[in-house]
Amino acid sequence: MSGITCDQIRAATLDPGASPRDWTGLPEAAAHVRRCAACQDWLEAFATGEQAWTSVPAGDFTDQVIARTAGLEAVLRDLPRLADMDPGLGFTERVLRATIMKPSPVGWRAGASGAWRALVRRPRFAWEAAYVATLCWVLVFGNPVGAIEWSRSNIGAVARERLGPPVRELRSDLESWRAALKPEPASARGIPAGAQADPAPPVLRAWQAAAEWVRGAATSAAAAFSTAWERIVEWFARVFGEPSTAPTEPPAGPARSS
Amino acid sequence: MDATSDLSTLVERCRAGDALAWEAFVRQVQGRLFALAYSYTGHREDARDLAQEIFVRLYEARGQWPSGGEFLPWLFRVARNRSVDYLRRRSVRRPAVTVDEAEIVELPDPAPGAEAQAIAADRRGLLHTALRGLSAINREIVVLRDVHGLDVKQVASILGIPLGTVKSRASRARVELAERVLALSRGRGDA
Repeated sequence: MSGITCDQIRAATLDPGASPRDWTGLPEAAAHVRRCAACQDWLEAFATGEQAWTSVPAGDFTDQVIARTAGLEAVLRDLPRLADMDPGLGFTERVLRATIMKPSPVGWRAGASGAWRALVRRPRFAWEAAYVATLCWVLVFGNPVGAIEWSRSNIGAVARERLGPPVRELRSDLESWRAALKPEPASARGIPAGAQADPAPPVLRAWQAAAEWVRGAATSAAAAFSTAWERIVEWFARVFGEPSTAPTEPPAGPARSS
Repeated sequence: MDATSDLSTLVERCRAGDALAWEAFVRQVQGRLFALAYSYTGHREDARDLAQEIFVRLYEARGQWPSGGEFLPWLFRVARNRSVDYLRRRSVRRPAVTVDEAEIVELPDPAPGAEAQAIAADRRGLLHTALRGLSAINREIVVLRDVHGLDVKQVASILGIPLGTVKSRASRARVELAERVLALSRGRGDA
């Protein structure tokens, strides 16, 4: 240890009776300055100013040195106090709001879901939805009356296009079904007109009667179904457009009366 | 636990996403970052905006915070870059050259008595005004080196200038600052 302290070096610098160069020649002071970064900075700053001070008139030299070094010392002492300033009330909360309390970004699904829920919760949502729906209808279909006409014709066309093939197929099935159920005339079975066929045994007669009844019931049901279908098609044609004659025409005549 | 290890612990916890640690971190460094921001803007409200921007940037990058002794220089580098960006964006509204000393809110001074506190506040106001009179690079060197206590290597790294330049400029800047303070004191009849 040299026994020289920073304060002694600074005091020596500020001593009006000593030349600034006198004390720096002391071995102890030099050893201290070599080890002390603060004093190195101090002397460096002192040396920087020294060149300017040499131009000061001799009578004012000491005063100038004192003023400048005292000012420098005070500045170096005070500067660290500027390192911490109070940002004022509410600053911490402001920073936390901008960082940790900031809502995290959500996925588009969650965002859309939340937006939809918020929209639905609004009291006027039903009115607004009705308005938007009406607006869309008008934009897409134009004049509402024309749109209804257009819709009728188009829906009828779609119905005919979609229902035509299955109706034709169903009619074909019904006709073949009717043909199969229709009782054969006696001549077709080889029995001459006016001749009485051999009486069948009672069990057979009962069976034939039952078969006849079933045949008649089935024919009646088929006719009723056909009539109902015809009415449905006519209703569709009346409501949605021109009746479709060919594909939806019900099977005709003779089978209906049997 | 001293302040440095306390800060290191906070940094580690913040990196791990601890919300409470982030709040404690903000409370611990807000004074320093606000002071640094103030040295750039010279305006209290601008400094608050800038300090908040710095904190938001820090928060967004909290996963990449360096640990240990590298943190503080990195923190100052981020703050300095953000401040330069801020001033560039606000170039149409130049910071005030003179500092309104009345708007500087000082921390409680350890010296007892209202008079001592007033003197200390006045002294700090003078220093701020004198600092504003320095060139931008000299002011940055003085603020980083003498106000915030970074060493010359760190200052050179943050400012991106040679070490020797920092050393020579630091000495000149100090003398210049002292002269400005003396001149301001004389101008106010304190000399």
